[in-house]
Amino acid sequence: MPKELPAKRFAAAVLATALLATACAQGSATKAPSAESGKVTVRYFTFSAAPDHVKDLDTIVAAFEKENPDVDVVVETAPYDQYFTKLQTSLAGGTAPDTFELNYENFVTYASAGSLLDLGSVAGDEPAAGLAAESLNAFKHDGKQFALPASFSTVVLLYNKDLFDKAGIPAPTADWTWAEEQAAAEKLTDKKAGVYGDFQPVQFFEFYKTLKQAGGEFLTADGTKTAFNSPAGIKATTWLVSKVGKTMPTEAEIGGTADYDTNLFKSGKLAMWHNGIWQFAGLKDVPFNWDIVVEPGDTSKASAVFHNAVAASATTKVGKQAYAWAKFLSSSPVAATTRIQSSWELPPVSDQAVLAGYLKDPKPANRQAVFDSLNAIALPPVIKRQQEMQDAVTQELTSAAAGRKTVEQALADAAAKVDALLG
Amino acid sequence: MTLTATRQGRRSQGSPVPRPRGRRWRHALTVAVFLLPSAIPLTLFTLVPMAGSLWTSLHEWDLITPMRWVGLDNYLTLLADPETHAAFLHTLYFIAGYLPLVYAGGLGLAMALNRAMRGRDVLRAVYFLPVVTSWVVVALMWKWLLNPAAGIVNWTLGLLGVEGPGWWTDPSWAMPSIILASAWKDLGFVMIILLAGLQAIPKEYHEAARVDGASAWQRFRSITLPLLSPSTFFVIVISLINGFQVFDQVHVMTGGGPAGSTQVVVEQIYNLTFRYGRAGAASALSWLLFAVVLLVTLVQIRAQRRWVNYG
Amino acid sequence: MARRVLLVLGALVMLFPFAWMVITSITPAGSVLATPPDFTPDGANLDAYRRLLDTMPFWRILLNSLWIGVASTILQLVTSAMAAYAFARLPFPGRGALFAVYLATLMVPLQVLIVPLFIEMRTVNLIDTYFAVLAPTVASAFGVFLLRQAIAQVPKEFDEAAVLDGAGHFRIFVFIVVPLIRPALATFAIFAFMASWNSYLWPLVIIKSPEFMTLPLGLAELHGRFTTEWNVVMAGSVVSVLPIIVLYLIAQKQVIASVAQSGLK
Repeated sequence: MPKELPAKRFAAAVLATALLATACAQGSATKAPSAESGKVTVRYFTFSAAPDHVKDLDTIVAAFEKENPDVDVVVETAPYDQYFTKLQTSLAGGTAPDTFELNYENFVTYASAGSLLDLGSVAGDEPAAGLAAESLNAFKHDGKQFALPASFSTVVLLYNKDLFDKAGIPAPTADWTWAEEQAAAEKLTDKKAGVYGDFQPVQFFEFYKTLKQAGGEFLTADGTKTAFNSPAGIKATTWLVSKVGKTMPTEAEIGGTADYDTNLFKSGKLAMWHNGIWQFAGLKDVPFNWDIVVEPGDTSKASAVFHNAVAASATTKVGKQAYAWAKFLSSSPVAATTRIQSSWELPPVSDQAVLAGYLKDPKPANRQAVFDSLNAIALPPVIKRQQEMQDAVTQELTSAAAGRKTVEQALADAAAKVDALLG
Repeated sequence: MTLTATRQGRRSQGSPVPRPRGRRWRHALTVAVFLLPSAIPLTLFTLVPMAGSLWTSLHEWDLITPMRWVGLDNYLTLLADPETHAAFLHTLYFIAGYLPLVYAGGLGLAMALNRAMRGRDVLRAVYFLPVVTSWVVVALMWKWLLNPAAGIVNWTLGLLGVEGPGWWTDPSWAMPSIILASAWKDLGFVMIILLAGLQAIPKEYHEAARVDGASAWQRFRSITLPLLSPSTFFVIVISLINGFQVFDQVHVMTGGGPAGSTQVVVEQIYNLTFRYGRAGAASALSWLLFAVVLLVTLVQIRAQRRWVNYG
Repeated sequence: MARRVLLVLGALVMLFPFAWMVITSITPAGSVLATPPDFTPDGANLDAYRRLLDTMPFWRILLNSLWIGVASTILQLVTSAMAAYAFARLPFPGRGALFAVYLATLMVPLQVLIVPLFIEMRTVNLIDTYFAVLAPTVASAFGVFLLRQAIAQVPKEFDEAAVLDGAGHFRIFVFIVVPLIRPALATFAIFAFMASWNSYLWPLVIIKSPEFMTLPLGLAELHGRFTTEWNVVMAGSVVSVLPIIVLYLIAQKQVIASVAQSGLK
């Protein structure tokens, strides 16, 4: 017969369980985020603060609460990949945060579903001032302001100056077109040394932009059908696909490695890199000279802009305070300067004096290109079934890049899929 | 002899020994006390949400706007959709490759590490390491190992004069890559379950057989395998249930690509729910998957009496 | 001998990702994830671990995960062992069908249960509580099944002898069955802890307040939308694996000790 020990352990386990259950119930009883007396709590849900800018957001929150002593802003964060999972679940459960961040591509889905508060209805006589008009307009739906722009980033051409100098090729300029980019990329590619001339991912976000650079449109003017299966579309797709394996590593060479392009550029083996200004911070200490320039165009220039905005939930009970917070985060000088000082994207303000602070940073030297890129921007096409469209286009483009389909076939298939999504 | 649950349940119903009423109530109370601690939470936190998802499956719902009743439309659309068929086929492909690999490997390891040897505990712990390492990290590493151009696997194959395949990037090699990585990661899982089973086999059996002159293979066939069968049954049923719901590795390694060649059922369910705003269709697809898994599991429970050896 | 060489070689293959993880975590941010990997990084340092402590309330998060994991494991062990005993040793009508219902709870993917469960928690006002994180994990059909198989393997003569002594089911369960299935209990404890420790999707949606955050949620936040600091991610992964390894080593000791003392050997 076994000793008695196990029985005692079992009893202990049961006791511990009971204790834990009690502790647990207490935990839930004491948890309620008790709003201090007389204060209104505004919850704000964001994907862009973590992991690097939580403290910067705290700075903005503190400044807001100082100006609005009756409001308590409670921040919740989630990584971008899971942000919408959490947001949708809370909307489904009727517990949406009072205010939350939305990127431009997802804005229409939420605005047309009626889950956003018309900010005009709570703005009173305090309209948001000092915001760039294009930014503000991007977040209007059916003529109503459903969100206020909070920040943006642009995509530019980053280049390794040393590689250009060594090959005796003049560095890219703002006047470059695809032809010059291609000529330089071919000269700079040295596969034996593992050096590539160019890197531009073959996916949706590059496609709608190059399409516009080639003079094409993604959707028809009324937005009911696709328009990208056109000569311009074929030109853009061919441009993206033709780089693969020639001046850019193939899918097999990349092999799904995380941050392959970042590492390639950082190790000095990539001459030109189409990427966003969010990469600047990580390139501070690389042992070579690099700079940026507005992306080359074809028949016209077009740069991609990633826009984030603050919206309020249609069901919030604190609409006025939610608006005040959204406005503060969007256009207050504190928010703008905090963003600029910490390179946390750019504030969508129209005041050039505020933006000038961004140019003070010495690297990259041609920071002005970031603002120049705004002169001709390409906004992503936005439909209700956005994610499905993005996935479908990327999948077809990848097939063309891997040589499984011809460019024409891939484009026709992508157009058919997207037309089906447009219903 | 203990019998399978089903058979014993039946036998007790037709029990020839009549029990006094009071005894029967006491027995029922005993059963309730043993079962309720698990039955209550399972009902509240799994069965009720399951009912909720069944209800959702009859609606069109983007999670943001109110649900709209569509009856069986979601099911009919899914059943007619070639993407659904492809997803089930890919899932079956995964199971067909993964299950034999992980079971044979796990059994071999468990046998090898069941015998006394120096450093055995350390070895066991090391083989268990991949089980506890997150898929995010494992995927990163396997992507590097199987990098078609610079990976160590293709480099080794090159030394042997074989040109390595494109692994992740090639639609016909992407699933084998996932199978390989999954089997590698789960070997330790099968190992520790089978180890627990092996340790319950009385040593005397083996010793007696050895005295009778049975070879190692004969002892394995006639003692180890039959006495291990309850653990084997468990491993197979659970691996199948989990295999049908393969998701994490696909999600972090290929996201269903390239060209949709690794699009499995749960990856599609995830996309439908949280990326495409089609929660109704996602629920319907889950219930189709449920039907398949339930069928497969019931067949196994039925079949177990033929090969599983209890007590 | 050949077997040993093979086992050790295999072990090296198994150890590889872990070693790589540790090395990446001490590699300076600039040279992370080079291809091929650099196993002797220059300027190795602990910056990533420092960043880990800086970017999040790390100790609080660790403590949350630990206590939820321990509570969940104990509860799972108790509830599963009891149910397993009923399914293996207590005849009652409909037992097979009920067991199938238990198994069926494993067959619907979590992804579609999240939203209904969230709504359920919302109606009883339990969103953003420890209770809501813990409650769905306290019963495990996986555990019931694993332990039922273990109990089924225990020779029935043991409990029959006890029945003759006049022992009831509780005494048999506690004094005979539980000690005899200790290897399976120890094994299940590892899985139960891991399930709670690694649980991600449910805590993600149900937790709002940072003070309730668990480790997987904290680690996920290290992935930015466009860029990821892989050395910090790896540092976080190293930290998150260690407690399970410790638990595994403890559990293994249990398994071996129990085999030695149970008289089965």
